[in-house]
Amino acid sequence: MKDLNRYKIYKGCVAAGRWFLFAVVAFLILFPVYWIFISSITPPGELFKTPIDYIPDHPTLESYKFLIENVGLFDKIGNTVLIVGVTLVLSTCLCAMAAYGFSRFKSKAISIAFAFIIATMLIPEVVTARPLYEFMQKVGLYDTYPGLIILYVSAVIPFTVLILKNFVGEIPLSLEEAASIDGATFLQRLFLVVLPLMKPAIATVCIINFITCLNNFFTPLYYSNGIQVLSVSIVQLPLRDNMYGVPWDLVSSMGWIILLPIIIFVAIFEKQIMDGIMAGGVKA
Amino acid sequence: MTISKKSMKWIPWILILPVVLIRGFTTLYPICATLKNSLFDIKVLSGVHEFVGLSNYVNVFKDPKILTSINFTLVFVVVSMVFHVVLGVCLALILNMKFKGRRFLRTIVLIPWAMPAVVIGMAAKWGFNNDYGLINDFIRRFVPGFQFNWLINTGSARAAVIAMDLWKDLPFFAILVLSGLQFISSDIYEAAKVDGANSIQSFFRITLPLITKNVITLCIPFTLWRLTTFDLVYAMTSGGPGEDTSLIAYRITMEAFTNLNVGYASTLAVMLFIVMALFSWFNIRVMNKLGD
Repeated sequence: MKDLNRYKIYKGCVAAGRWFLFAVVAFLILFPVYWIFISSITPPGELFKTPIDYIPDHPTLESYKFLIENVGLFDKIGNTVLIVGVTLVLSTCLCAMAAYGFSRFKSKAISIAFAFIIATMLIPEVVTARPLYEFMQKVGLYDTYPGLIILYVSAVIPFTVLILKNFVGEIPLSLEEAASIDGATFLQRLFLVVLPLMKPAIATVCIINFITCLNNFFTPLYYSNGIQVLSVSIVQLPLRDNMYGVPWDLVSSMGWIILLPIIIFVAIFEKQIMDGIMAGGVKA
Repeated sequence: MTISKKSMKWIPWILILPVVLIRGFTTLYPICATLKNSLFDIKVLSGVHEFVGLSNYVNVFKDPKILTSINFTLVFVVVSMVFHVVLGVCLALILNMKFKGRRFLRTIVLIPWAMPAVVIGMAAKWGFNNDYGLINDFIRRFVPGFQFNWLINTGSARAAVIAMDLWKDLPFFAILVLSGLQFISSDIYEAAKVDGANSIQSFFRITLPLITKNVITLCIPFTLWRLTTFDLVYAMTSGGPGEDTSLIAYRITMEAFTNLNVGYASTLAVMLFIVMALFSWFNIRVMNKLGD
């Protein structure tokens, strides 16, 4: 009996310890995000208050209104949606084709091409930036939608090809053979047999690439000027009043506009994102 | 088959050529151009463009700005990676605990991973503000009247940058460690329990040896990403105070796009690339040795 009690106390301590660790981690991650949110709905003047009021007394959407009226928020959202949308469609089509090619056809040259795609993951943007910038200007792609989309697509290619290739490798060849006995042409096999089976993998890469594209900062910062997207606008907000070098009212509301779709995405697609990260180790 | 063998040979190339061309155009060509530029003195503003051989490479080691950058980059990479490994394994163990809040916890650790580094950087710039920032406000609730300007002093600004880097990427590291943890079957732990091992013993004798290789492998890309960190510093400190937090990737970008000292920037970029390539090559060799 004594042992049983002791065991119960031990179990209780373990459970309490778990919930304590849980609370610490959740607090460290969620509290700063919450702070960004409440700052965005606090009237700008009240941001200069110590201690910080974590439950704002006079919540207001004034900062958002300022972003819409004076910073052209809807233009930036439109640009972002357009670029990210086209990038997702284009990169998924191109990479699904390539994944099929890499997986189903074997030759030395094809293996080298695949190794090349994966090896380019290691090449940092800062090494390629300046020549690419000059090239884009020379051919008239600088500060254009096609130019940006090419660079966005390029950024997601290695990860997408890697995940999709591994997935195609698991689709049994016998399905295609059966289809070709029934008279299906090569294109019919690709689009009617293999592509529908790739749906789960395509969903995973699209979800992760969506986040990667939203987070892309270097590309829009240096390869465009007039076309502004959300991630860049947050560092180019106008200073209002004396804000100690940071227009925190606008930064927090712009930050929250960027964070909201990301948080919703993470909440809905937690499982796919986990699978994708574990399979490909992609950095957002 | 309706397609003859001969025409089949071209099909894979039609399928893979678009991605190979895009990647080649955005990586291979610029790298060659950077390599060539690194041998020239190119200053866009004054219109200088002349061949100087390797003298850019020699100048790098005489430039105090670059030495500061290299110094901080090394500190940043080493300190950040040590914490990544230690805290990352701890966080992975927390995420692997069996309890009701697990799914929720696994969802929220994805938030820092999914957040853009610029948003984190801009928020941190305000968060570390002496008067109105989140950090000092938090400290003041325990130490009334606490005053400290984090981003103005070299040591604390560097610590702040490293802390924000950890906030963003530690969960990501932990998730990848977790994927290794999940492969360890619970039978092993039960067998150890039967043999009288307590949980601390089974962590050091079973868990740690089994995930070591996984963790070392993870350190390769994570170290490379640390070496090329740009967004965070750009938004958070702009390299300041002085040049004390300008990571090498930030320094290169500033030389290339702000100072328009293209030749010199290319030299730095080539050197960074060589360091990264050597690091990866060395590690892959070590990993292969360990694998045998």
